[in-house]
Amino acid sequence: MNSEQDFSETGLDWAAFLKALYLLGVVLFVATPLVATVLGGFKSLGELRTNPFGLPQVWEWKNYADIVLSRRYWQLLQNSLIISSLTVILTLITASMAAFVFAHISFFGRNMLLNYITMGLLFPAATAILPLFIKVRDLGLLDHYLGVILPQVAFSLAMSILLLRRFFKELPEELLEAALVDGCSYLNFFRYVTLPLSRPILATVGTITFVHSWNAYLVPLVMLNSDSQYPWPMGIMIYQGEFSAEWHLILAFITLTLLPTIILFLFAQKHIVAGLTSGAVKG
Amino acid sequence: MLTSRKPYDAGKLSAVLLFLPPALLLFTVFVVMPIGEAAWYSGFNWNGFGTPKNWIGWDNYRFVFDNKAFGTAFKNNLLIIVVSLLVQLPLALSLALILARAFKGAVMLRMLFFMPYILAEIATGLIFSFVYDGEFGLLAAIYRHFDAQAPHLLASPDTSMLAILLVIVWKYFGFHMMLFIAALQGMDKNLVEAARVDGASRWQILRHIIIPLLRPTIKLSVFFAIIGSLQLFDLIMPLTRGGPADSSHTMVSFLYNFGVMRMRVGFGSAVGVILFVICVTFAFSYKRWFMRDE
Amino acid sequence: MTVFRRLLSSAVGLACLAGTAWADTTLKWLHIEVNPNQVKIWEEVARDFEAKNPGVKIEMQFLENEAYKAKAPTLLQSKDRPHIIYSWAGGVLKAQVEAGVLEDITAQVTPYKDQLSAAAVKAFTVDGKIYGLPHTVSQVGFMYNKELFAKAGVDGAKVTTWDDLLDAVKKFKAANVTPIVVGGADKWPLHFYWTHLAVRLGGKAGFDAALKGENGGFEGDVFQKSGEHFKQLVDLQPFQQGFLGYKNPQAVGAFGDGKGAMILAISSFYHTQRALAADKAGLSDDKIGWFNFPTVAGGKGEASDTLGGVNGWLVTKGAPKEAAEFVKFFISDAVQKRLAQGNFLIPTFKGAEAGLGSPFMRNIAQNIAGSKYHQNFYDQDLGPSVGRVVNDATAELAGGTMTPKQAAKAIQDAFKQGN
Repeated sequence: MNSEQDFSETGLDWAAFLKALYLLGVVLFVATPLVATVLGGFKSLGELRTNPFGLPQVWEWKNYADIVLSRRYWQLLQNSLIISSLTVILTLITASMAAFVFAHISFFGRNMLLNYITMGLLFPAATAILPLFIKVRDLGLLDHYLGVILPQVAFSLAMSILLLRRFFKELPEELLEAALVDGCSYLNFFRYVTLPLSRPILATVGTITFVHSWNAYLVPLVMLNSDSQYPWPMGIMIYQGEFSAEWHLILAFITLTLLPTIILFLFAQKHIVAGLTSGAVKG
Repeated sequence: MLTSRKPYDAGKLSAVLLFLPPALLLFTVFVVMPIGEAAWYSGFNWNGFGTPKNWIGWDNYRFVFDNKAFGTAFKNNLLIIVVSLLVQLPLALSLALILARAFKGAVMLRMLFFMPYILAEIATGLIFSFVYDGEFGLLAAIYRHFDAQAPHLLASPDTSMLAILLVIVWKYFGFHMMLFIAALQGMDKNLVEAARVDGASRWQILRHIIIPLLRPTIKLSVFFAIIGSLQLFDLIMPLTRGGPADSSHTMVSFLYNFGVMRMRVGFGSAVGVILFVICVTFAFSYKRWFMRDE
Repeated sequence: MTVFRRLLSSAVGLACLAGTAWADTTLKWLHIEVNPNQVKIWEEVARDFEAKNPGVKIEMQFLENEAYKAKAPTLLQSKDRPHIIYSWAGGVLKAQVEAGVLEDITAQVTPYKDQLSAAAVKAFTVDGKIYGLPHTVSQVGFMYNKELFAKAGVDGAKVTTWDDLLDAVKKFKAANVTPIVVGGADKWPLHFYWTHLAVRLGGKAGFDAALKGENGGFEGDVFQKSGEHFKQLVDLQPFQQGFLGYKNPQAVGAFGDGKGAMILAISSFYHTQRALAADKAGLSDDKIGWFNFPTVAGGKGEASDTLGGVNGWLVTKGAPKEAAEFVKFFISDAVQKRLAQGNFLIPTFKGAEAGLGSPFMRNIAQNIAGSKYHQNFYDQDLGPSVGRVVNDATAELAGGTMTPKQAAKAIQDAFKQGN
């Protein structure tokens, strides 16, 4: 659709004006809390009370600097990074292997197994959080990264397998036929043909999994117990508990912990938007 | 054909045996078994230590349904769905209609509106507990500007849920907007063009062509709003922890508060089973009744 | 290149060495203290212990009060649980003992424990076995701001009955002063009202009867009346605006800022209000007063009965022997005296209370010493899940979403459900 056409008709300036006003309203609605958070981190507590919206009269760089220079901040990011990366890697490996089988090999019970996996889409991890906790405890994985990673991988499998399978199926079937006749094994075909051809979908699935894992709260909250292992959402809640009313520090901490997400978003927005929406559409 | 089939039948078998087990094992151990165990544990009064011994049958389910806070949580989940349908969906759709066109700044606005969706719920909740703070918050400042005393929205059972609903709209409308934009961009433009040539008004085009074409996406958006409501938890914790007076629990935050925090494994499992039944029933009936044509 | 590689490998080697060399035993000590002044002393005590016990390292971990209570049940099930944890004794302790996550340290502390207050040690004893040691006791009562009392024309020393308190609240309202601040979001600060009323109305006999399920249990007359009295107070809207959204540290800080005339406080807030006040100074000694929880007409409890905490340190299952040694060291004469002198706490080490620096704290120590019935906080005493319901129900009473009858019933129901 092109826009000139709309504006060329008479009286539409009003419509355009209202539209712009509407957009402006939504922009303010979305951006104000975010901007106030970033700026709030630069203020003193006293100024925050009198001037929460505007630019700081005195820029308190110390709020941010203290956090950036603290071990705590980097420890949180490091923990989150370890948990999320391992979750992504394990998800991609296990899901793509399973998806490959579901896409290319027909065997007795395939549909049944596929339906079985699809069940995972129907309910969130929270429903079984207590038995999950007991299970992780009995496996001796409480307070280990793996105690968070394995459940996260398991719960992301359903969606990932479905997305990957759909993509794998669209790869030309003749390719596989020919390769097999030439004596190429399934394993090698998967390794040297399927995976390299599937980079876009792997990136998409990887991004979805990463964002979910990076932001996750409930599973780490239940499974992890020591500062040295908390991912950032837990760390930020504890920070808030500790500094209860010192909002200027809390805001600075929030801003700094959101920074990686926002940077990632700016760099990988295509994958993120495509992943999170198309992933949802096709799921 | 027959001769060439044999070698890769063997390869097939080993591929299946090599590729499937890791995913199946993880899925079974961490997704399926816990649900089964939840059903089993829900028959016990058990604090999670040792093995469950004290069998009490259906009592945990009775305790759940007798619990006033569970009723509130259930109603809150419904309320979230209603607000998603009545506020969030029209907002997302209208913005999508505007922003699906290519004009200067459209992409930037899309990104801005989508951004809240990728921020962690925990961080979002904290940001808004600042916004709502009666002393330092943005809301308080606005009230102060008019020489009025700001209400503590999160601190009153009457307004806590309202405040949370606003955050939900803030955080999720961008996601739904993107769904609609994707659908609008994939839409056959000739239909719209033809209608315009025939002299249809913009409203008629919207009402009779675009909305009907968007129906599958609308259904999907509704589906996600409902699923999202059923698993909402992270946002509740930094804002109210379900309070005050248990007025703002969702079913999951109820489960966490009354099951996990108190280590009442049986009770919490019963809540989990109820939630599971609701999710599955919903997903199946929604697919069956509303998405039959897709 | 080779030089660089060699450097790198030796650096890695060093790091490994350092990793093994710094301690043979690491004690993980989980505390919930928010007052930095006190934490500083605790850290020094820990370093002191390390110096005296080569090869032992103490790692302090902190969790905020509410976060700790929420985390404790899952935390304790981990093999990597902390070795020394904070405790309020009571039913929660009993549940932990039954769960088998605590270490019996009776043998290690046996002659030593006699130097501590017997009643406090008893709180950490379950079926004759000792699982931890108490380092402090506390009393719940009204801490007040003398300046604001003077402004409204109320004499704190003369508030002795429930009606006096209600009158005082009315006077503050008339003088446009917030009568009481409370951290309602944490719920337990509100449960003090209901519980202390029950202590006044029913006395020890009333509580014991409820535990046995006599007289209608927690649904009985005593507890319904507690709710009704509490409601009289709530109906006057005595709390600061938005009190259900305040966490306890925020409320204590607000009191320290002079934003409310009273706070139903644990005696240790005397010190915490300074640390949590915006100016980090809070109210000075001459501005702070204390009166005991008012008596209620027709109540069966003694005026000297107290509600309060017995706090200490538990040693968890499988902890190294040094854990109990450190607990003993932490509750030794010298450390207790030092903390008492700083007015941080009422010590449990016999005689250490003589070192209490301020008249305020000495008064509290006398109150506790003179009490024949010291009731532990209900939310701890009744065990993890019933205690939580007491908190829930009293918060609902304060929010006006439950009637006294419903609140009492909710608690009795939870008590009957057990666990």
